Amino acid sequence: MSEPHVYDMIVVGGGPGGCTAALYAARAGLEVLLLEKLSAGGQMALTEQVDNYPGFEKGVDGFSLGEKMQRQAERFGAKTLYAQVERADLAASPKALYTTGGVLYARTVVLATGADPRRLGLEREQALTGRGVAYCAACDGMRYKGGTVVVVGGGNSAAADALLLSRVAKKVILVHRRDTLRATRVYHQPLGQSGNIEFRWNTVVEGLLGDDRLTGVALRDVRTGERTSLSCDGLFVSVGRAPASGLARGQLALDEAGYILADETTRTSLAGVYAVGDVRTKPLRQIATAVADGATAVQMAEEYLAGGA
Amino acid sequence: MAAMDMNKAGFEQALAGELPVLVDLWAPWCGYCRRIGPAFEQVARENEGRLVAAKINVDEEPELAKDLGAEVIPTLLLYRGGRALGTLVAPDSKAAIDRFLAGRLGE
Repeated sequence: MSEPHVYDMIVVGGGPGGCTAALYAARAGLEVLLLEKLSAGGQMALTEQVDNYPGFEKGVDGFSLGEKMQRQAERFGAKTLYAQVERADLAASPKALYTTGGVLYARTVVLATGADPRRLGLEREQALTGRGVAYCAACDGMRYKGGTVVVVGGGNSAAADALLLSRVAKKVILVHRRDTLRATRVYHQPLGQSGNIEFRWNTVVEGLLGDDRLTGVALRDVRTGERTSLSCDGLFVSVGRAPASGLARGQLALDEAGYILADETTRTSLAGVYAVGDVRTKPLRQIATAVADGATAVQMAEEYLAGGA
Repeated sequence: MAAMDMNKAGFEQALAGELPVLVDLWAPWCGYCRRIGPAFEQVARENEGRLVAAKINVDEEPELAKDLGAEVIPTLLLYRGGRALGTLVAPDSKAAIDRFLAGRLGE
């Protein structure tokens, strides 16, 4: 039997962190394979307009930016495979990734798997997803043109979603468990001035109404315990994100929220394995910081490979 | 063969053909539809000669979209011999599309 092919580096995830790692690795002369389950860009691909990534003075749509990053890496020889990694043996030598495109081997692995929207954990939430329950205002907002929508959450993404939806929907009701938003100040004034955003403070969504399609939500006031129901056409869940660190579980050190423990060097608890972007512990999760991680990971991997791995 | 944009007439013609037809119902304003685009194109190329891959823009073909019973987009529909074999709503990976096809076409 012939020896299996061993890449210098396999990058798991084609968001900005993963594409940058692939770009730097290819330019450093490493043989690098980028694994992506759907399309380049990661969470960024669902962002209509990216205004805080330097170099695009008029903003850029996230999907196009993802494609550009991918093509840039490919220009220097990085390869892309559309496959999903089901299991990984990160401690093995070489490291093994069991994917829908077969078993792949590499001397170093960069985990750039990102994060996914957090769910409310309500009964039938999964069944009603796409049938009134949504996690991405930029993607699904237009379906609720002229309707009434509820947004759950109190952070920046909830505030941005409420604003975006207020331009499409007839009425937006923002439900938040506290009595004030955690969102950055820049959102407060536009939210107050929109004219069609209502606030339900100290309130949680505790049930989903409707049979095969959402017709409303059951609410509870956390102070008084009073229960009410509210008719709506759509529910947008904007309660943060959870790291997609399933591959690392049991193999790498994670923090209590499930993020892969790694500092600015992107080194994880296993030599030759690096965590970049939203999936690692870090103070700010942005395209700009993910991109920085991707570049750093390749520097660290080169040092590791030079050490005779 | 790349995925083809289809209107009602083109779709009906494809349905009457011998090959299975995989339809992607999408719209330009639908961000998640764009994310599925590259994977759908690759599925079309990988199944060249075995499958017709059709893209139907629900904004341009509202009646057809309604006839097909599309409640949400993106939705993939699979037909063979004019009969519906299955529906896949908002797949989260190319692998999910491959599994859907393998399961329904029995390959």
